[in-house]
Amino acid sequence: MMWQLVLRNLFHRPMRTLIGVMAVAVEVALVILIVGLTSGILQETAKRIEGIGADLMVQSPTAPMLITFSGSPMPIKIADKLAELKYVRAVAPALLQFNSTGGVETVWGIDAKSFREVSSGFVFLQGHDLQDPDDILVDDWQAKAKHVKVGDTYNLFNHKWNVAGVVEHGKGARLFVPIATLQDLVGAHDKASLFLVKCSHPDHTEDVIAEIKDLLPNYPVRPLKEFMTLMTSTNIPGLETFINAMIALAVSIGLLVIFLTMYTTVLERTRDIGVLKSLGASKVLIVRALLTETTLLCVLGIAAGVGLSYLVRAGFLALFPTLSILITPEWVLRAGLIALVGAVLGASYPAWLASRKDPVEALSYD
Amino acid sequence: MAITVTIRSLMDGKPDPERKPLDPILKTENLWKLYHAGKVEVPALRGVNFDVLPGESVAVMGPSGCGKSSLLYVIGGLARASRGKVLVDGNDLTAMGDAERTKLRRSKIGFVFQRFNLLPTLTARGNIAIAQYIHGDGYDPHRFDVVTKMLGLEGRLHHRPSEMSGGEQQRVAIARAIINEPKILLADEPTGNLDTKNSDIVLEMLRRLNKDLGQTIVMITHNPEATTYFDRVVHMRDGIIVDGVPAD
Ligand SMILES: Nc1ncnc2c1ncn2[C@@H]1O[C@H](COP(=O)(O)OP(=O)(O)OP(=O)(O)O)[C@@H](O)[C@H]1O
Ligand SMILES: [Mg+2]
Repeated sequence: MMWQLVLRNLFHRPMRTLIGVMAVAVEVALVILIVGLTSGILQETAKRIEGIGADLMVQSPTAPMLITFSGSPMPIKIADKLAELKYVRAVAPALLQFNSTGGVETVWGIDAKSFREVSSGFVFLQGHDLQDPDDILVDDWQAKAKHVKVGDTYNLFNHKWNVAGVVEHGKGARLFVPIATLQDLVGAHDKASLFLVKCSHPDHTEDVIAEIKDLLPNYPVRPLKEFMTLMTSTNIPGLETFINAMIALAVSIGLLVIFLTMYTTVLERTRDIGVLKSLGASKVLIVRALLTETTLLCVLGIAAGVGLSYLVRAGFLALFPTLSILITPEWVLRAGLIALVGAVLGASYPAWLASRKDPVEALSYD
Repeated sequence: MAITVTIRSLMDGKPDPERKPLDPILKTENLWKLYHAGKVEVPALRGVNFDVLPGESVAVMGPSGCGKSSLLYVIGGLARASRGKVLVDGNDLTAMGDAERTKLRRSKIGFVFQRFNLLPTLTARGNIAIAQYIHGDGYDPHRFDVVTKMLGLEGRLHHRPSEMSGGEQQRVAIARAIINEPKILLADEPTGNLDTKNSDIVLEMLRRLNKDLGQTIVMITHNPEATTYFDRVVHMRDGIIVDGVPAD
């Protein structure tokens, strides 16, 4: 009986219900997409670092975790010192430069030979490795997004580069240029942002870490395999707070719309509430009826929101193939729960008002 | 009408006619109701002494604003008395809190209003069933059929209020009010929004409810003709009862 009342009431004003459902849907989609985008980008970055194929990465003492935004270079001579260590087979310096014109991308300045030695090497889909100072390597996603092929000119840092090769994605960055040229361009002579280290045997990784810690105290040394677990929003300063603030914003939209929806519902049904009271309905019953209605509306909204998330993601990925949006069941569930709690909070004041209405006044309400 | 046929089946379990109808089912003692309009006190009831015996049907008449509705709301537990006593089936409403009065209303009182007051989103069946639902467990599923048959509603049960005539809506409202076998049925001008034909049908049904089922009824009315259907007429003026002579 309760369900019948709730359902009939819910569909009595389809437009109002639809707006409530849409607000919850937008809220849920925002939460899912914001979290999905940040964790997607982080995981993507981590995967690319891991995919380089080196064993260790040495960063400068002040380098942030998210190397995409890294600067603060170190003297490149450190590479020679590292190469002298017992279990080190090869060392490759890389200078990272962040470019924000026309998109967000990190460019790696590398030395083709040493990079080949520490990594398992690029997989060339087109063209060849870096040879000339103005050569640039582009990964396949970037090539697709920018519509470039071997032989094309690529503009970057006010410099015209020649696309020498298109490589398979997953090797640290999407763009690679000769380190010497990049050093000249950005005025970072003899500097590197990080060093990639290949051990003589994977079993020696721990020993090499100990050696480097000894040689360069304060310099973070991390196995590349660790980045997958390290690259989470909690490890990036400010990111977690930003995500939480965005979620709070999304939730307040949902909460306010639900509040307004239920508030007008209660006003409109003032007389009905008086009738229920004249029949002997308790305050609890009236609150329960309204919160059940809210919950149902919210569940519809959550379902729509999850659908909307996948739709928006598909749209974005079609427009920006290099983007990565990670939608996990865990966060879908969390977004739903967050929306539900917000909705119940938003409806509780109107429901409380309804339960306190004076029955005689309510019955004479027009 | 089919009513007489079904009434027979209702007769068992009715109040024993031999029982001495001495204890009133409803009793008010020096009942006052004051409204507060700003700083002004408006007395709607000014010391009402009013008894209703079990199985009685009483019509309350009086000029507009004399306090008839106020009396009904207070004895039905919808409004709080300002002073005096209200005893329903031996329970003093004035000593009760909000929750207790709600509970008493649920089990012992049925309301019928001038404006039908059906829930617009529910069908006739839903409107009656919601009263059973609110009443909670222990209701007689058989009673639904008996009551709807008696009020001639069998064919209208799947209709919404907007799809029914005023007379039909008021019959649904009566069915809803008596579905849980209340001790007292309180009706506030139940025919006030009906034409003569539908008024007569509703009044006749109330009379049968009283005569055949022994339902105690207190009804407010402005219609002098309506009083002929009732055992007793009570006249009110300025918040007090001025007489209480039998109708015939
Ligand atoms: N909520 C209220 N606030 C202030 N005064 C009220 C309120 N309700 C009723 N009154 C006053 O109390 C008095 C009795 O009102 P009540 O509604 O009981 O009269 P009534 O006999 O039912 O009238 P009618 O025949 O018009 O329905 C009136 O003077 C009315 O103005
Ligand atoms: Mg009145």
